[in-house]
Amino acid sequence: MTSRIKGFEKNGSTVKSHALESIWTRAFASNSEWPDKEEFLDVIYWFRQALGIIIGLVWGLIPLKGFVALLLFVLVNAGLIYLYFTNFQHVDEEEYGGAWELTKEGFMTSFAGFLDIPEMSSTHLSLCNRLGTFQPLVYSMNIPNYFFSAYSTTDTTL
Amino acid sequence: MWADTLLILFISVCTALLGEGLTWLMVYRTEKYQKLKAEVERQSKRLEKRKEAHGDSLDKQHKKKIEREEEELKNNNRDLSLVKMKSMFAIGFAFTALLSMFNNIFDGRVVARLPFVPISWIQGLSHRNLSGDDYTECSFIFLYILCTMSIRQNIQKMLGFAPSRTASKQSGSIFGPPPQQFK
Repeated sequence: MTSRIKGFEKNGSTVKSHALESIWTRAFASNSEWPDKEEFLDVIYWFRQALGIIIGLVWGLIPLKGFVALLLFVLVNAGLIYLYFTNFQHVDEEEYGGAWELTKEGFMTSFAGFLDIPEMSSTHLSLCNRLGTFQPLVYSMNIPNYFFSAYSTTDTTL
Repeated sequence: MWADTLLILFISVCTALLGEGLTWLMVYRTEKYQKLKAEVERQSKRLEKRKEAHGDSLDKQHKKKIEREEEELKNNNRDLSLVKMKSMFAIGFAFTALLSMFNNIFDGRVVARLPFVPISWIQGLSHRNLSGDDYTECSFIFLYILCTMSIRQNIQKMLGFAPSRTASKQSGSIFGPPPQQFK
C-alpha cells in the first residue's frame, strides 16, 4: 500500500519522485500528507469501525446501559474522530466538505457494530448471572482475570 | 442464548459473503457493469471539478454544460441500477427464503439480551414472537439486522465492492442533498 507521487522540480528539467509511506503508517503519524482524499476518508472509516467495537466492548464490560450509553457512544465516537482529524492530523476539514462530512463517515456501520458488542456481552453477563459464575467474554484476548473480578457473582436469582 | 448469539453472528457473516459472492458472479464481473461503473466514476469526478470551478458563475454556457453532464450522469446511474436490479431480485428472493428458514428455527427464542430497552416502535422488531414483557430480550430478526448492518458494508469495503464516494455524493444521500465537497 505505497502511494507514489511524481513532481517536477522548479526548473522543470528533472522529474523527482518519492514514495509516500503506507496509509497506516501515515494514519498513526501526526500531520501526515494526504494527497488522495479518499485514502484519508478510508482511514476515518476504519478507525470509526474499530472505535465502535472498542467502545461497545467497554460499555458492555462496565456495563453501561440505556439511552445514556447510546448518547455517550455518539459523543465519544464523534469527539475522538474530530480530535483525530483536527488536533492530530491537522487536516483542513473544508477540503473534505466540512466537519460534518468527516463526522458522518462510516457512522451508521460503526453504530451497528457498537450495538452488537454490548448485546453480546450483556447476553453473556446475564448467562453468567444465571450460572453463578463469570467467564470472561473476551477470554481469547488474554485480558487478565482480575479485570473481570468485579462482575463475578453468585446470585442465581436472575 | 450465548451460542445462539454467536451462531447468528456467524450466519450474518456467511450470508454477507454469500451475497457478495453471488453479486460478483452475476454483476460485478460483467463487462457491462465494469464499463458503466468506470463511466459513472469518471463523470462524477469531472462534474465535481466543473462545479468547483464554475459552480458559482452566472455564465449560461457553463450552467448548460453542468446541466448536460448531470443529465448524462443520471442516465448512467439509472443504467447501472438496472444492471444491478435483476441480480438483486434473484438474491433478494434467495435471502428471503433463507431468512424465513432461520426465522422458523429461532422462532420464539430469546437469542440475546439488549443492554437497553428499545424505543416503542423498535420493540415490535426486537421482541418479535417473544413472550413476556421483558423488552430487553432480543429476537432473531433484530440481532440479524444489526449484525448484517455492521458486517455487510465492511465486507463490501474490504472486497472493494462498495460504491464510490464521489458517485454517491453526486447522487445525494439520506443525509441531504449532495454537498459542495473536495474544494
